[in-house]
Amino acid sequence: MIDQLKARLNLKAVLRNVELLPEIDDLSRELIKDWEISIRLSIWRDTNILLNFHNGRCTFLADTIEKGTVSLFFCSAAHLNNMMENNASPLPLSGFTRLGFLKTEFSKLTSRLEYFLKPPSDVVQDDRHKMINLSLALSTAVFAIPELLQLDPVSRRIAPQLSAGTLQLSVLPEGPYAYVIYDGKGGAKAFTGKAARPEALLTFRNPEIAQLLVDGTLDSFGAVAKGDIQLRGKIPLIDHTNVILDQIPKYLQ
Amino acid sequence: MNIYRYEESNKWFDRAVKVIPCGVYGHFSPAPYAPVEAYPFFSNKADAARFWDVDGNEFIDYMCAYGPMVLGYNHPAVEAAFQEQHSLSDANSVASPRMVELAELLCDLVPVAEWAFFARNGADVTNLAVMVARAATGRDKVIAIKGGYHGTSPWMQAPGHHGTIADDHQHVIRIPWNDLNALDQVLAEHGSQVAAFMASPYHHPIFEDNVLPAEGYWQAAIDKLHKNGSVVIVDDVRAGFRLHLGGSNEHYGFKPDMIAFSKAIANGYALSALVGTDALRLDAAKVFHTGSFWYCAGSFAAAIACLTTLKAEKGPERMRVLGEKLTSGLRDVAAGHGYTLVVSGEPAMPYLRLADDDTLMLQQAWCGECTRRGAFFTSHHNWFLSTAHTDGDIEKTLQIADDAFKVIKSEFGH
Ligand SMILES: Cc1ncc(COP(=O)(O)O)c(C=O)c1O
Repeated sequence: MIDQLKARLNLKAVLRNVELLPEIDDLSRELIKDWEISIRLSIWRDTNILLNFHNGRCTFLADTIEKGTVSLFFCSAAHLNNMMENNASPLPLSGFTRLGFLKTEFSKLTSRLEYFLKPPSDVVQDDRHKMINLSLALSTAVFAIPELLQLDPVSRRIAPQLSAGTLQLSVLPEGPYAYVIYDGKGGAKAFTGKAARPEALLTFRNPEIAQLLVDGTLDSFGAVAKGDIQLRGKIPLIDHTNVILDQIPKYLQ
Repeated sequence: MNIYRYEESNKWFDRAVKVIPCGVYGHFSPAPYAPVEAYPFFSNKADAARFWDVDGNEFIDYMCAYGPMVLGYNHPAVEAAFQEQHSLSDANSVASPRMVELAELLCDLVPVAEWAFFARNGADVTNLAVMVARAATGRDKVIAIKGGYHGTSPWMQAPGHHGTIADDHQHVIRIPWNDLNALDQVLAEHGSQVAAFMASPYHHPIFEDNVLPAEGYWQAAIDKLHKNGSVVIVDDVRAGFRLHLGGSNEHYGFKPDMIAFSKAIANGYALSALVGTDALRLDAAKVFHTGSFWYCAGSFAAAIACLTTLKAEKGPERMRVLGEKLTSGLRDVAAGHGYTLVVSGEPAMPYLRLADDDTLMLQQAWCGECTRRGAFFTSHHNWFLSTAHTDGDIEKTLQIADDAFKVIKSEFGH
């Protein structure tokens, strides 16, 4: 189950950022400008994702029957996780002629993603870089929630306690923003951006505070008491979400 | 109206986080205060129905130490009784006669009580109650209510939360409040394993409206549980002695097998009690449960003074009347601003919610504005009245509430 969850997180939370990255990073946007290709990654008897590049944008789909121009197949969750750790190659199912593209062009984009996902201490960062890093970290975190609720043992115990409602996560003054809609039946859907009518708000006073939390170096209780992190509305949704988010490091480094 | 600031509280908090996990943890933690900047974190002084924070701000206290304060802080009779006993002997190497006197008093006041056992905190005796029930029945499982709070032992916590493991909840079955069908179902499935049913006398969860027992609920539940050979435990830690001096079950007209008391029993001195019927006396005697401070005698003396004063002053009746006055007054003030304030639970410990916004954000803003004007209101937990609150306090509170509504109306509209 650990491999399965790890693989789903890799696909649906980490690789999902390929959709977001060109929106916030000029170089990535430039890179995909002329791509007309869709890349499907699937795990045997489990999940799949489709990254569709069209008109200078990328759209992400999960668990779709749509075929990709290129289709990569992983015979197990562990196989996919190995690829993410650079130790294995997927089996191409179709689109052999585009393999060169994957090796050269697409891997430029994934390297860019990797570069921005690296912990801040590892690379010199300017403000723009920090914002991209934070946006990707926030997006990874919220998109991990639905997967954790299904397969992580701790989150599964939290799931029945989650009432229906929307939790908005916001970094002041200008984002990033993301939100999670809990369905009240143990499931959730995640989104980037601002929800129309959130019932719980978790708000960071500025990107620095949010970054410290992402890095795991913030005393979050002290930050709440000082108003650096603000909680509003249905606070139990925030409490439970925090426990779920605390599980991420068990699967993703 | 003077708007409070909390510079000294914040300075203490800065010191606290350096040496105490969370700075201030548990139910006093600033985390659920929303907005946090409306609340004080530290206080050094309290008297009657008021406390003063370390910045010198004065509050009419509607949390009453989350229940223990019932006659008012510094109540002369309780303080005198405690001091007298404390100077004679408090910690000791053998038991105090005050303990016996208090057990006799409880057996006298509380119809269910044919014995009493003492500890310090509520969870000491909710845990003991479960152990006694398991000893008596030889069974494992406990039925409790979804959203019911019995303390912080691992089995009592929300599953999945830090420091708990799946096995902690293996023998706890949570069912919805007031739901006899759910009880039937659990008994049908696990009946032969059910040692006990534990619930508060009425449902007082946090973040949700409080719910009184439905007509006939308790008696029907007791009949089913007794037929199944299970023990019925009332957790009266929060409501005990605020609704009725014989235990809150007397207020609702039913009799459980054991009742756990704490909070209001000694007007702020650390004490809890488990009382029970004669049928469970021997099982209670067999269970080993104790603590270094459980015999400290000052608390017994304080409890005797507290309970006799509550009785002499008809405390529960007074708190009911005060609570009704407060809540109906607040409802009117809210209505005057076009808001609907929903009051649930019992008047002596009401739960309030502004119905105009189901996210609780309006409610949080209003409680915060009241607090920074001197009426200490939390937004997610029931409040408490004490016999020390006065009509004047309530008048002042209504003025504060009025002022607070003006502020939130300009901020939120409605
Ligand atoms: C109903 C109820 N039971 C048990 C407890 C636990 O009491 P303590 O915190 O003293 O252990 C509480 C405390 O709030 C309570 O409200």
